Amino acid sequence: MFEVSPIQAGQVELIGRLDAAQAARAETLFERLIGAEVLDLSSLEYISSAGLGLLLKLHKQKMAVGDGLRLVEVSPHIADILHYSGFDKLFDVMPATK
Amino acid sequence: MKLSLSRDLDEISRIVAATHTWFAAQDVSDSLLFPVDLATEELFVNMIRHNPSKPDKITLELDTVEHGVAVQLTDYDVERFDPRSAPTPDISAPASERRIGGLGLHLVANVVTALDYDYRNRTSTVRFIALENDQRV
Repeated sequence: MFEVSPIQAGQVELIGRLDAAQAARAETLFERLIGAEVLDLSSLEYISSAGLGLLLKLHKQKMAVGDGLRLVEVSPHIADILHYSGFDKLFDVMPATK
Repeated sequence: MKLSLSRDLDEISRIVAATHTWFAAQDVSDSLLFPVDLATEELFVNMIRHNPSKPDKITLELDTVEHGVAVQLTDYDVERFDPRSAPTPDISAPASERRIGGLGLHLVANVVTALDYDYRNRTSTVRFIALENDQRV
């Protein structure tokens, strides 16, 4: 299951598994994130290419209005996926500290 | 472990549950769970997208190998598609030029130790091995 939870203004937490089975539900949840600037991934257990596509779509929407996304508390496995996809060059990525 | 899977993305949750249960019962490193989950999902989704309306099930098999796990996905009565031949995405392109999609098989190639493909009698078989500390074979 995948969930999105607000932390504070402009910052939300992604929770669970962001896979192809969750992509349609996640896309609906992401539509509410256009005001978010920081995505906290500390509780994101897993992401596949389907989830990366949603991140890219949201990032492009932000870029269109002169903003971007920061990904914080990124676990090593997810950092690897961001690196293999080149997304670590598209986003400001901060590794996990917890 | 062997599963017979419908061509439905909702089967991913059944794959994950069965894979995690199988890992818990085996003497293999949990560090392999993420790459096995990722490669299995991407290859399964790829098989569905290439042949979405076939009635045949897709078979998933997991076995232990020395220092790792071997995973095999078999798709019956389909055209040939070798996942190793998928175009390499330009991962250095800026966001404005990046398109959504096309990353799945590229990620597979990065997270598994070996990836093999066989096609005979209209049956596609994809097999990958994930090894602890990525000990290349």
